[in-house]
Amino acid sequence: MDEQKTKREQSSLNVGKLVRWIAGILLLALIGWRIYQTAFIEGGYGPDTWMRFIIAGLVIGGMYSLIAIGYTLVYGILFMINFAHGEVMMLGAFGGYFMFELFAFIKAPTASDPNMNFLNAYPLLSVLISFIVGAVVSAVAGLLLERIAYRPLRKAPRLVPLISAIGASIFLQNAAQLLFGPQRRQYINPDILWRGTGWSIPVGDTTVLLTYTGTLSLVLSALLMIGLAYVVNKTKLGRSMRAVAENKQAAALMGIDVDDVIGKTFVISGVLAGSAGVMWGIHNGLFNHYVGFLPGIKAFTAAVMGGIGNIPGAMMGGMLLGLLESVGPAALGLDFQLKDVIAFTILVLVLIFRPSGLLGEALSEEKV
Amino acid sequence: MRTSIKNGIRLGAIVGVVILFFHLTGFSVVASSMLGSLLANVDKGAAMEEIPALNLAVILALMGMIAGGSASKNKQNDKWSNSLVSGAVAGAFAGLLTGIFIFVIGFANFKEIDLRNYLPEIGPDVIDSLLFGGNAAAPYLYLALLTVSGITGAALSKGVIRADWRKKAQADSVQSFKTLTQKPGVQKLFGNKIAMYGFLALAALLLYFLPTQWGSYWNYIMGTVGIYILLGLGLNIIVGLSGQLVLGYVAFFAIGAYTFGLFTAPEPHAIGMNFWLAILFAILAAAATGVLLGLPILSLRGDYLAIVTLGFGEIIRILIKSDMLTDFTNGPSGLSDLTQPKWLGQTFNDVNFFHLIVIFVAIAIFIAGRLQYSRTGRAWLAISADQTVAKATGINTYKYKLLALALGAAFAGLGGALFASRNQFTGPEDHILMVSINVLCLVIVGGMGSIPGVVVGSFVLKGVPELLRDLESYRLLAFGALLVVMMVMRPEGLWPIGRPAMEAAYNQKHPKDSPPEGEVQS
Repeated sequence: MDEQKTKREQSSLNVGKLVRWIAGILLLALIGWRIYQTAFIEGGYGPDTWMRFIIAGLVIGGMYSLIAIGYTLVYGILFMINFAHGEVMMLGAFGGYFMFELFAFIKAPTASDPNMNFLNAYPLLSVLISFIVGAVVSAVAGLLLERIAYRPLRKAPRLVPLISAIGASIFLQNAAQLLFGPQRRQYINPDILWRGTGWSIPVGDTTVLLTYTGTLSLVLSALLMIGLAYVVNKTKLGRSMRAVAENKQAAALMGIDVDDVIGKTFVISGVLAGSAGVMWGIHNGLFNHYVGFLPGIKAFTAAVMGGIGNIPGAMMGGMLLGLLESVGPAALGLDFQLKDVIAFTILVLVLIFRPSGLLGEALSEEKV
Repeated sequence: MRTSIKNGIRLGAIVGVVILFFHLTGFSVVASSMLGSLLANVDKGAAMEEIPALNLAVILALMGMIAGGSASKNKQNDKWSNSLVSGAVAGAFAGLLTGIFIFVIGFANFKEIDLRNYLPEIGPDVIDSLLFGGNAAAPYLYLALLTVSGITGAALSKGVIRADWRKKAQADSVQSFKTLTQKPGVQKLFGNKIAMYGFLALAALLLYFLPTQWGSYWNYIMGTVGIYILLGLGLNIIVGLSGQLVLGYVAFFAIGAYTFGLFTAPEPHAIGMNFWLAILFAILAAAATGVLLGLPILSLRGDYLAIVTLGFGEIIRILIKSDMLTDFTNGPSGLSDLTQPKWLGQTFNDVNFFHLIVIFVAIAIFIAGRLQYSRTGRAWLAISADQTVAKATGINTYKYKLLALALGAAFAGLGGALFASRNQFTGPEDHILMVSINVLCLVIVGGMGSIPGVVVGSFVLKGVPELLRDLESYRLLAFGALLVVMMVMRPEGLWPIGRPAMEAAYNQKHPKDSPPEGEVQS
């Protein structure tokens, strides 16, 4: 049966496949030639610059991974793209921002400095609480999103929840703009975590700055991902999540409350996205209501790249996308404006040549 | 009784949060001033503190009545006492929430803490008007007003809307409408060709004369609606008929606009091509892009196709804007001074241009309608219903999907060229993702696969917002909310295609042919 189908598909897709492969080979040749040129003939960048690109790529990649996991979890269970996930992250960034503002406002005079504020007196606690608040805001947003916009549509055709998600995304973005204003806001970090400060690592004859904020983001995203892996693989909730992803009806027959598990999945993806949002704020500083859009789409790219529905795939995809995006323009000798084009091109290429993603299994037709 | 209280608290919380949201986004004040022009107690453009407290109270009372009315619905035990308790609890809870909020902002205002840094809409004068003109008792007023209106709403809902006599009257009116449409005379009118041609002639006459009367502003708005109908018809072929979700439709729009622009703009190439020829090239270029894009990606699954096309749309926009192609596309500054159409040596004015758009829309509707009910259209529908089955019945799915994409792209190319020519300008910011989403939404709001639906959707999403200029800043917000509500309440669209109804009738007549009832695994 399967063989027959593939045969039939092959005959009808011959033209497409041929075009696909010719385009692929040409593209690979072009990319190889460009990299050869920039790396060996022009030699424009030294090892320190490459190091800088790699660090930046890893930091942003960690955030992409966290958001991508949210897409993958939801897709794995509901087979829908949670288009509003980027906005969930944006709300988390706002939550963390308001916490920081509050801590900067609260006075906590110490013996040495009577003008000290809470943020600088207890930086670790402030950062921790801000992360928790950001995560909680996003989790609540995710939960409400599921209850209002997705749950009534569980049995509708697939296009319907996607449109609903697009609507929710537009709504959240504009609600944030109306509530908090369209201007860009800046995170006030504690002094010891100020952006642009960090350790200097000697590379060759110069040094490369490894910022504290970047390190914090990377370590925290790694910790969160380990935590997620634990939840999914070792706990009862994780087992029910996997069961629901496998087959909702069978899971319900085994006594799993499917609605509850789906709600909790949205909470988990919200927590991860909210943390990513606060990280974004702490590391990049500036943000506004529009901050969730591009990372959201890129994280989706990452999730697809790793094989959607596959959690390790999303982690790897996020890291890889972050790296490619930051190293790519330099390696190909392109303008840095074209960073986003690289991300989207990767998405298109992955989908054309390996639609199930790098780590994904081939999905059966039913799951399509 | 317990369910009544629970219901009350739930709806009170929802309505309370909505009122807070309205307050925080400044919508309450805008709505109060709009109500002012309705009640004629506020001059147009009056300052915020001149809005009487009455208007805000009316809006709050309406919200309270909505809360009370919806809370009072109790399916198991629809008694007067339960309804009133629910209404009172709902109103009181909403009043409590908003009262606390009002107390907080009033206190902050009193202490002269400026909240505008975080909540830009909450300035001192807004707070004053939200406090009914700086009234210190405002929190209690909120509580009292919302409780009373909650009870009123519940009473109205129980006594009028859900009353038995009204239910009966409603059923009667639905029945009489049904019998009216089924009367032979009315049926004949619907199916009658002469009546249809008469109607078309009337529409054509109106479309010919109205633009000369209603001025250039309305010509512009209605022209935009027309162009969106063109785009909607194209996307309707791709999404509505063949079932391929394409989110980067703006790419074809951009290709059309830029092909037209590059051929006719004095900068940067100075080709100076004729309008009609350039339009033709724009259509061809867009269709060719559709084919080229479709060849590798059309075998992808639904969601993936959506994202690939979304990525493609963004790539096109970023490339147009990039420094790399500035010499070719003029970069971020775009192309200006594009050619206007000429006919017999006369340049088109806005009325002519509107007529031109109407003609193109009419042609497009004709083509789309003929295609929809042809063999091709049925093949598309089969593909969108079930691709595997379609293939098994001998449809070359790949070919038909490619055809749909090329045709849809051609429509977008035409729309893009017209849009660019009318504005005499096209730039990268005309081709943002929002265009794709707008078009997709109008197709869906109108009803997927339905041509009248596209027309209705374009008017609703592009025309109506122009009428509500005061609410400009809330437009996108309402748009997003509308999409969600629409999907939850009426996913088939405003003017759904007739086919599912026909199928249902068939299944009723031949129960054995209908597929087994049961949950379809998504």
